[in-house]
Amino acid sequence: MARYLDLYGLFLVQRFKILMEYRVNFLIGASSTIILQVSSLLTIWVVMSQIPSLNGWSYYEVLLIYGLITLAKSINHMFADNLWTIGRQYIRTGSFDRFLVRPINPLFHLLADRFCHDGIGNFLVGSVLVITATRQLNIPWSLNNVLYLVLMVLSGGLIFIALNLITGTTAFWIMDAVPIMRVVFDFHLFAQYPLSIYPRAVGILLTWLIPYGLASFYPASYLTDRSLGWVAWGAPFVAIILLILAYQVWKFGLKYYAGTGS
Amino acid sequence: MAIIETENLTKVYRTTRKDPGLRGSVKALFRPQIVDKLAVDRISFHVEPGEMVGYIGVNGAGKSTTIKMLTGILVPTSGQVRILGRDPHRQRVDNARQIGVVFGQRTQLWWDLALIESLNLIARIYEVDPARYKQLLDQFSETLELGELLRMPIRNMSLGQKMRAELAAALIHEPLVVYLDEPTIGLDLIVKERIREFIRQQNRDKGTTVILTTHDLGDIEELCQRVIIIDNGRLIYDGPITTIKARFGKYREITFETCQPVYQAIALPEGAHIVTNGYSPEDRKLVLRFDRTLTTASRVAHDVMDQVEVNDFSLTEPDLSSIVKQIYNGALLEETTS
Amino acid sequence: MIQAIRRRTNIYGAMAGIVPKTFLAYSLWVWVSLFLNTITMTILVFFWKAVYADTGTIAGLDLQTTLTYILLAQIFLPLGDLSMIFEFGYSLREGGIAHALLRPVDFQGGFYVQYMTQTLTSLFLQIPMALVAWLVFGLRFPTDLQLWAVFILSAILGRTILFFFDWMLACLTFYTTEVWGLGVLVYGASLFFSGSLVPLAMLPGWLQTFALATPFAQALYVPLSLLTGITPLSQAPMVLLIQVILLITLGVLSRLFFRVAVRKVTVQGG
Ligand SMILES: Nc1ncnc2c1ncn2[C@@H]1O[C@H](COP(=O)(O)OP(=O)(O)O)[C@@H](O)[C@H]1O
Ligand SMILES: [Mg+2]
Repeated sequence: MARYLDLYGLFLVQRFKILMEYRVNFLIGASSTIILQVSSLLTIWVVMSQIPSLNGWSYYEVLLIYGLITLAKSINHMFADNLWTIGRQYIRTGSFDRFLVRPINPLFHLLADRFCHDGIGNFLVGSVLVITATRQLNIPWSLNNVLYLVLMVLSGGLIFIALNLITGTTAFWIMDAVPIMRVVFDFHLFAQYPLSIYPRAVGILLTWLIPYGLASFYPASYLTDRSLGWVAWGAPFVAIILLILAYQVWKFGLKYYAGTGS
Repeated sequence: MAIIETENLTKVYRTTRKDPGLRGSVKALFRPQIVDKLAVDRISFHVEPGEMVGYIGVNGAGKSTTIKMLTGILVPTSGQVRILGRDPHRQRVDNARQIGVVFGQRTQLWWDLALIESLNLIARIYEVDPARYKQLLDQFSETLELGELLRMPIRNMSLGQKMRAELAAALIHEPLVVYLDEPTIGLDLIVKERIREFIRQQNRDKGTTVILTTHDLGDIEELCQRVIIIDNGRLIYDGPITTIKARFGKYREITFETCQPVYQAIALPEGAHIVTNGYSPEDRKLVLRFDRTLTTASRVAHDVMDQVEVNDFSLTEPDLSSIVKQIYNGALLEETTS
Repeated sequence: MIQAIRRRTNIYGAMAGIVPKTFLAYSLWVWVSLFLNTITMTILVFFWKAVYADTGTIAGLDLQTTLTYILLAQIFLPLGDLSMIFEFGYSLREGGIAHALLRPVDFQGGFYVQYMTQTLTSLFLQIPMALVAWLVFGLRFPTDLQLWAVFILSAILGRTILFFFDWMLACLTFYTTEVWGLGVLVYGASLFFSGSLVPLAMLPGWLQTFALATPFAQALYVPLSLLTGITPLSQAPMVLLIQVILLITLGVLSRLFFRVAVRKVTVQGG
């Protein structure tokens, strides 16, 4: 474990050396995600300034939900973006093999291979939103609340990573897994708003099947004193279960790869 | 104890064939046409520590597939493979520490990183002792002439520079076994020579076992005492290179382009004769074959040029596919059965 | 004369024919994007329903009008697409621009035909989405033919305006290869200012004025607001006149831009 953390640090340092070489690209990449978020946020601002609340959620409460899912997404974006490119960049070119002849876990190697700086933009947007929203809503930054937030954001990030790992592993069979990944990934867009605005089926889907809601709507409900019982604490457990499942799927994919080599 | 053991090693690739067009795609979805490709067919051999073995065959013979099974990337369809007594796929990590791999056409290094950074990272992945690493780095820099390459990102390197970098990266953890899959493909002679020298040195100093695949006989002649020839996935020869050399290295072909059509008879030194099939004087092409043990190329050339006016001439080595053909025709039967 | 025209149409026709073919090659993507678009529409519909839960109208628009507008905006999204900046950059790097300049047709004209064909193809591919909007989300298409006629006219004008704007941006690729960031910036701006997410009538005064002046709005919001009645038909002549003026201005500017930019290429040899 310590060895892997150590290695990750090294990979990260190397990655930043490359990024600093292409400084313009780095800045553009990191800010591009901010630009893309601005249009959605402008929309929320325009609409929410015309109405008192969205299904009982005030402007800043909606921003809190939006900020939480954005933070969770940014974790995936920064640390696991390489999952999108297994097929195109690694399997098709044959460079996946190099992970298999090295004495470290291939999944670790794949993820560590490219820290994605574009995610930093999402991270900044999410942080600003969550910080502003909690301030405006007078949610105290008590140790409990801060720990709760960190735990939820991390769990949310892991939920994103686990789901992407499951869908991304299909690259071993179909080479380009991006369409399939997108289908599941885009469900997180629902979780940008209060789940209560959708029909029940959507809420159930986003809670139990593709549980992005656990990372945004429920924690925001908890922080704004909308008591929901234990579901507010569901994210870490679900994240761990999903990760275990996803890793089994990944191992199955590796086994398939060892049989076909392409 | 043998360091590499294979027993009836077999690999079948199972692929689905798809007819072109939308109809084909739909058909493939419901009734896939399965095509089995026997890439490696019951190959058995042992390699002792410190041996350098040339694994040769024409393109598509099954060389890379074998290497992938030896390195643990692929699981054999049937048969056994043991590296240092281990199953390289099941005990992937333990195996990986002991081996170094170079795949000729693709890089193991980080495209945008300076070579030295890549090497640092790899040294850490393999947990090379820092003091030893420093020592090796100096040593490698010298033999592979890495010098200014160390500061250069891989993407800026020429093919030859890249290959030197790859070799350094694959051997920096002092593996016991090194697999080189077509390491000299597309390189010029000077780089080839440098690389061969490096491999020879590693083998001599550390007893590194080397498996070298190629479809170029030149590499093998320089490095290996033993060759394994495969064709269509089957092992067709396993033995000393001297046998191959004696058999096929004996004859050389020399082609002259003459200024005028040649109609008259030409007196030739002993051991040389004109290759007559398909010869017509109007081509102004004269092909001679000679026995190297009886005469020399310069002797033949000299004699011919005394008698006819020559524009140009060239010497051809016997190529692998013709050797393979001749082995099938029984040329090596007596040696392989003995 | 007639022969010359026919030859010309053949060349343009062949150039236009390439587009849908390359498009349909990604058939899996067509299905997947239909699905993704359905997700987006679902979210938009329920979002707006929740927005209207406690109010009758916002900026004079009732729920029905807004929903119709939003769904139509999703269907007609290709009207607001920008693509040339990436394509130019690509063909510049691959040396294709020299090729294109050698073809016996007006360079910009050739691109325009491709642009419009691509738009038509994309719109054609939105038909399944229109069906989803109609069957699942109860979209009511306007039935007044006059509205459609004005819409089509305005859409063609708007799309052409956007073409000229896109063209000028693309000319920047002659000066810098770092167009990716610019592309993203413009794309982000187009998402909002085209009115694809929110009817621009809801923006506060100053922002609305600015938004309406952008070519993005001209290509998507302006025609759609005519179609959905957000802009009354009586104002149509005025709206169209403004579009024509914008079109001419941008058209002249874009040709100037290109002339200057291309000099840079020919001087530097690409
Ligand atoms: N991943 C694969 N799937 C299906 N067939 C393959 C695959 N890899 C190689 N083959 C086929 O197996 C045979 C042996 O290939 P390979 O081992 O790469 O040969 P070599 O390295 O000697 O050129 C070839 O016919 C090749 O087409
Ligand atoms: Mg090969």
